[in-house]
Amino acid sequence: MKYILMMTGKKSDFDGYAKWSKEDLQANVAFMRAFSKELKDSGVFVSTEGLGWPSQAKLVRAGKDGEPVTDGVFPESKEFLAGYWIIDVESPEQAYKIAARASQAPGAGAKSANMPIEVRPVLSSHADLGL
Amino acid sequence: MKYILLMSGTAAGVEGYHARSTHDIEAHMAVLHRINKELSESGEFVATQGLAEPREAKVVRGEKNGVPVTDGIFPESKEFLLGYWIVDVPNAERAYAIAGRISAASSNMPIEVRQFASYEATSR
Repeated sequence: MKYILMMTGKKSDFDGYAKWSKEDLQANVAFMRAFSKELKDSGVFVSTEGLGWPSQAKLVRAGKDGEPVTDGVFPESKEFLAGYWIIDVESPEQAYKIAARASQAPGAGAKSANMPIEVRPVLSSHADLGL
Repeated sequence: MKYILLMSGTAAGVEGYHARSTHDIEAHMAVLHRINKELSESGEFVATQGLAEPREAKVVRGEKNGVPVTDGIFPESKEFLLGYWIVDVPNAERAYAIAGRISAASSNMPIEVRQFASYEATSR
């Protein structure tokens, strides 16, 4: 079963990350690399991506003639996706265990950031929608 | 440049979608399939994925002893990721144009467009 593990944060959280020391950032990146390698070595890795900063995010709607209308204004409460992992595991419990490890990634002052990780099954096909 | 196009919605929005007729949902999916096919043919397609229902979502935090703590309670306002497209395009405008087409096909839902973090940016 495939699951997606999503790391999200508000803009104020990202502003906080931008203030981390170089050492703290390096420790976090080192953790993320080791974590991805472990997922690959254990055969559960499907993909991972990190997203650009919320300041670069745009909201797009179609205008009357189908032309894109962009907007970059979000409410303060908006949760931005920071990055995700897709894993292929045997059970939801295994996905939760892996998510808990991601949650323990080091943050400011080398303390665990204990970030919440949202876990959801991904659809293997539109048949999963009951069509 | 790689961009991700994110489609999100509330649990109530998803319920509203399911209340539509099978015919309407199939017509919507057919347009999305056609957009995917066009992106594949133009060489801009990287990946797409739909996510399961919001009610299957859990939030996990790590505890000191490494035991995962799960919680599936979200505020009503919570926007759940419903699915995404990753495209490889020459510029942001092209990514916005593709997002506009997906929006037009999907009841004018807003599509969030974000660039991927570059290796340099994440390892500075």
